Amino acid sequence: MSKYAFWPGCVAQGAAPELYTSTLAVAEHLGMDLVELEAAACTGAGIISDGEPYLQDVLNARTMAMSEQMDLPLMDICSTCVGVHRLAAEKFRDVDYRIRINHHLAPEGLEYRGTVDPRHLLWILLEDVGIDKINSMVKRPLEELNLGPFYGCYLVRPERTLEFDTHPTRRDSLEQLIEVLGATSITYDGMTKCCGFPILTMNKQNSLTMAGTHLDEAQSKGADALVTPCPLCHLNLDAQQPDAAKVIDRNLNLPILHVPQLLGLAMGLEPETLGLTRHVVDTNRLLNKIGA
Amino acid sequence: MAQQELIIQRYNPDTDESYEESFNVDVQPGQTVLDSLNAIKWEQDGTLSFRMSCRHAICGSCAMKVNGQSMLSCQTQVDAAAERGDPITVGPQGNQNVIKDLVVDVEKFLHQFERAETWLEPYEDQEPPEREYRQKVEEFDHWSHASTCIHCGACYSDCTVAAVDENFLGPAALAKAYRFVMDSRDAKREERLQFLSEEQGGIWDCTRCYMCVQACPKDVLPMDAIMELRTLAIEAGHVNNHGVRHHKGFMSGVRKRGRLDEMMLPVQSVGIGRLLTGNLAAHKEMMDYTPGAIRLLKSRKLLTIAQRHGANAEGREQIERIFEEVEAEKHHHDVDAEAFGAEFETAIGGH
Repeated sequence: MSKYAFWPGCVAQGAAPELYTSTLAVAEHLGMDLVELEAAACTGAGIISDGEPYLQDVLNARTMAMSEQMDLPLMDICSTCVGVHRLAAEKFRDVDYRIRINHHLAPEGLEYRGTVDPRHLLWILLEDVGIDKINSMVKRPLEELNLGPFYGCYLVRPERTLEFDTHPTRRDSLEQLIEVLGATSITYDGMTKCCGFPILTMNKQNSLTMAGTHLDEAQSKGADALVTPCPLCHLNLDAQQPDAAKVIDRNLNLPILHVPQLLGLAMGLEPETLGLTRHVVDTNRLLNKIGA
Repeated sequence: MAQQELIIQRYNPDTDESYEESFNVDVQPGQTVLDSLNAIKWEQDGTLSFRMSCRHAICGSCAMKVNGQSMLSCQTQVDAAAERGDPITVGPQGNQNVIKDLVVDVEKFLHQFERAETWLEPYEDQEPPEREYRQKVEEFDHWSHASTCIHCGACYSDCTVAAVDENFLGPAALAKAYRFVMDSRDAKREERLQFLSEEQGGIWDCTRCYMCVQACPKDVLPMDAIMELRTLAIEAGHVNNHGVRHHKGFMSGVRKRGRLDEMMLPVQSVGIGRLLTGNLAAHKEMMDYTPGAIRLLKSRKLLTIAQRHGANAEGREQIERIFEEVEAEKHHHDVDAEAFGAEFETAIGGH
C-alpha cells in the first residue's frame, strides 16, 4: 500500500470541505494510505510572504521536515499549496539558509534536510498510481462529458520549479486524467490563467472579471463543467460564479469539480460521498448526464 | 530539409479584417521562429508585418505570442516550438491594440514607465560626483535581475491583470520601479513606495500568477520584484490599504489556528477599524460580501467554527512559538541596524 504524508491545506478544511472528504474517499478506493499532517501550518499562500517572507519559509520548512521525518512523500491537494511548497523547497537548497531556518525547527525535534519533493494528488495519480490502473478502475465512464481543465497558476508556473523538463507528463496532467476517465477535454485560453481569487478582497471588479471571462469562454466552447486541482480557484469559479456572471453580464451555469470528485464519479462512488451536493452551482444536470 | 507549418494570426487595418493564414517553410536545424517569419516575408508574402532588429535577444523588438505564450521570436527555435511536429501558431502580443499583423501599439505599455517615473532621481542636495555615481556591488547583486529588462513587453502581453485592467502598471514598469527603489543613488525611495502602495493599479493589484516570470526572456523576475516591493512598502509604513489588511488578517488567522480563517478574512481586509469608525465605503464593501457568504452557508460549504479543523493543539503551540521567534529576530535585526546607523553617522561626522 502506498503511503503519503498528507497536507490537506486550509480551504479543504474550511470553505471547500467537499475537497477533503472526496480526497479521503478516493484515496481509500485506490488503496492509498494518507497520514495527515495535523500539526502543520498553512503554507502562507504567498500572502504571509507579502510582508514576512522568512516566516512563511520557516512554516513550510517545518511541514516538509515532518514529511521527511516520517520518511513519506508529501502530497498536497491544492495547486497553491504545492506551488508554495515547491518554491520554498527550491530556496532550501541553499544550505546556509536551511541552517538558519532549522534553528526554529530544532525545539520540536525537527530538522529539514532538503529531500522533500512536494507533489499534487493529480501528479501522484499519474506518476505513482499510473494511467493503466486508473483506467482499470473506471466503473462509470464519463463519455458524455466535455470538461474544461482549470489548473490554477501554481500548477503550471513557473515551469522551472515544477520540473516540467524532467516530468513532461505534468504539463498536461489534467487533460490526461480527464481523457483516461472517458471524458473529452476541451481547450480554451483561460485554462492556465488566473481565476482572480488572490485579489478578490483587493480588487473585486478585476477578480470577478477574470473568473467570469474564463467561465464564459469555457461554457461557450461547450464545457459541461470545469475540473480544478485548486480549491482557491474553486471558490472564485463556483462560489463567486453568480457575482462573476453579473460583472461580465452573461448567463453562467458551469459546475466546478475538484479533481478527486471527478475521479470518484468515474470510479462509481456516490455523488453524496464526494460532496457534490455542496456546490453553489448545482451539479444535478451534470450528474444526470452520466446517470449518477 | 524539413518543412514546418506556421499558422499566423493576421490583421489588415485597411479592411479591418482578422484572419489566420497558414504558411509552410523549409527549416534548417537551429532555425528560429523569426528566421521563419523572414523567410515567409522574403519568399512568400511581402505584406506580412512584424517588428525585428537585432536577432540576438537584446533589442526586445520581436516579442510575440508563439503557441499562445509571449516570447522573443529570435530566441525561440522552431524545433523547440513545434512539439511532435504540430503547426506553430504565431500571434501578436496580448493586452495591446494590433496595428497590423504581428505589430502592436506599444504606447500603453511604455506609458506605464512614465507613470511610475522609472528613471534616476538624484539627491539634489549633493554635489554631483567627479566621476560616475557609484553603487556597491553587493547591493547591485541583490537587484541586478531587475535591471536587465529590454522592454520587449512579453510580460505585459501575458499579464492576467493587464488583461482586465488598463490601469494596472504591469510587471515591467513595477520591476523597473523596484530597481530604483533599491538603488541607493535614488532620492525618491519613500515617494516611490508610497505611490506604488496607494496608486490604483499598483503593487497590491498583482495576482501572483507567475505569467510575467514565465514570459520574461531575461529572467527579470518581475513578480518577485513586486512581492519584494510589498514587503518594503509595509516596512516603510504604507499599510493603509486592502492588500496590507489582507496580509495582516491572514497572518493573524494562521497565528491563532495554524490555518487560514476564511470567515474573518473579508472583514479584516475591509478593515475592522474602518468599519467601527463608520466608514461608509467600508460598510458598502462588507455588504458586497454578504450574498457570497449566504451562498456558501446555503450550500453547506462553510463549516461552523466548531466543526472546522485547525492545526492540532501541539501544532498551534509550535506555530505560536515560531511567530514569536521570527518577530523577536526581526526586532533584533532592527536594533542592530539602528545601532549600526548611529555608529556610522558618528563615524562620518554626523552627516
